[in-house]
Amino acid sequence: MPGIPTNIDMDECIERLYRKELLAESVIEGICAKAKELLMKEGNVVHIQAPVTVVGDIHGQFFDLLEIFRIGGFCPNTNYLFLGDYVDRGLFSVETITLLVCLKLRYPQRVHLIRGNHESRGVTQSYGFYTECARKYGNANVWHYFTDMFDFLTLSVVINDEIFCVHGGLSPSIHSIDQIKSLDRYREIPHEGPMADLVWSDPDPERDEFSLSPRGAGYTFGSQVVRKFLEVNNMSHILRAHQLCNEGYQVLFDDRLSTVWSAPNYCYRCGNLASVLEVGDKMQRYFNIFDAAPENDVHRSEQQAQQNRDSQPTIDYFL
Amino acid sequence: MDPRTTVAPPRDHATVSPEAKKPQQISVGGFRISTQKLPILKAEPIEEMTKNLGIAPPEMIFGDNYVTIEHPTTGWGINFNAFDALDLVDKTGQSMLQVAYSKEWQQSREKAHDGIKEVVKPFDWSYSTDYKGTLSSNARPFEETTKQIPIELLKRPDPILFFDEVVLYEDELADNGIAMLSCKIRVMPERLLLLTRFFMRLDHVLIRLRDTRVYIDFENREVIREYQSKECEYEKVRQMLAGTRDDIPALMRDANRLSELLPLIDKRSERVVLDN
Repeated sequence: MPGIPTNIDMDECIERLYRKELLAESVIEGICAKAKELLMKEGNVVHIQAPVTVVGDIHGQFFDLLEIFRIGGFCPNTNYLFLGDYVDRGLFSVETITLLVCLKLRYPQRVHLIRGNHESRGVTQSYGFYTECARKYGNANVWHYFTDMFDFLTLSVVINDEIFCVHGGLSPSIHSIDQIKSLDRYREIPHEGPMADLVWSDPDPERDEFSLSPRGAGYTFGSQVVRKFLEVNNMSHILRAHQLCNEGYQVLFDDRLSTVWSAPNYCYRCGNLASVLEVGDKMQRYFNIFDAAPENDVHRSEQQAQQNRDSQPTIDYFL
Repeated sequence: MDPRTTVAPPRDHATVSPEAKKPQQISVGGFRISTQKLPILKAEPIEEMTKNLGIAPPEMIFGDNYVTIEHPTTGWGINFNAFDALDLVDKTGQSMLQVAYSKEWQQSREKAHDGIKEVVKPFDWSYSTDYKGTLSSNARPFEETTKQIPIELLKRPDPILFFDEVVLYEDELADNGIAMLSCKIRVMPERLLLLTRFFMRLDHVLIRLRDTRVYIDFENREVIREYQSKECEYEKVRQMLAGTRDDIPALMRDANRLSELLPLIDKRSERVVLDN
């Protein structure tokens, strides 16, 4: 591609991003192009080996991402698997996704990024990433670079042939892992079909089978679905994100499925805990639970101005 | 839980979560106003609430939050809380909305998975409520009135002795928009105003605002409660905004701006004067 610098120093980029500095628009363009090349080589199901630390939704909460590295170890000393939803809602989606993509480029075998339902053009226009890009860069180019790159993110990861990892959950169209491998994933997330189900669906502990969501689109999946899927694919556990839990994690279906949530005090007002799941080399699973990073308080006023629904609300003469 | 899964206790943090605070309280002109803001509910209380409500609560459920106004000498009081608001949500599925791409979705899935017919507990998942607050059991009831809330008096820059904003619940409608119920209250030396607002935007379908205002004149012990319902099709609102140079996605999240655009579909005023 023309105009893309070939000599981007990834270490320098990462250093700057740890300091929460923005990279230049042209650098973002180059990084996204490189990331596409790299991600294109990954299949729809990426096989990795434990030990690995699995991270759920981050949603632009950059200080809390740094907190995760402080708790779980920095790259490349700790292997990371991120389950998607890097952007939207938080104040620092640009910094968050830029850092994660740079880490992926620098340590491609030690960092893995799965696509979440927010890694999409449609959703990011409603939930903040588009607005943030336009505000921080003065135009929407960076948003285009990132959302084009999102089309290349993988859909699932399997740890040691045993744990199936995905952003949302299972799909009635998918019985075996091989069916995921044959999907055409290089596209915007569609509203329907197996690719949509993988990033959208939720477990329902009160059901056995698939059910329709009352919203008129989307599925929930029950205990028998999970049991069958694990049996057919000869696996023991499903690991997913996508749903807020106050405790930071939730384990369902007799320990066959875990939800990992990694955005503490979600949207700067939910007061919830967060966790990362550390999968050890003997496949033992350990939820490392954490609270919001103290740096969030320093930026409280900024967050208030943005969110305006915080615990110390701005006094106004509302009518 | 399988012994293979272990959980670390949350690390001790120097900073207490900003939401976790004691209830705030003030007494002015014979009225006592209190608010409480706590984190979203944990899994167990959510389960209990689900059972008691008969529907799945919203994604962000601030079940311990409240705003209460009391007049101790007469026993009159009004309280705003998430449970009572959600108890008024339609649980039959009669007023159920469908996301914008529902038709397309249903058609594509019919061929593939005709077997899956069971809808998870149909209910109004937009969590639309016309909640106007919960009156204390021995409160003197409201009566209909034509009297309006005196806006001019509220526009005066009187000192604000107490102010709070309390979210009761919020749901992102599985990323198809937003539904949120929140309260704002400001207390001045001679009067107070409380606004409880339900705001719902279902992308490409509908925008809905339901406001309940409670105005109290301390000296006359007069309470006016005004309920307003506004709504409009999503695309119509988008067209109204098309001329502006502002960031339209941001405007579509701004209930205050949208309130100016949406047509009024229902308005009711009630009043009660508390005894000496």
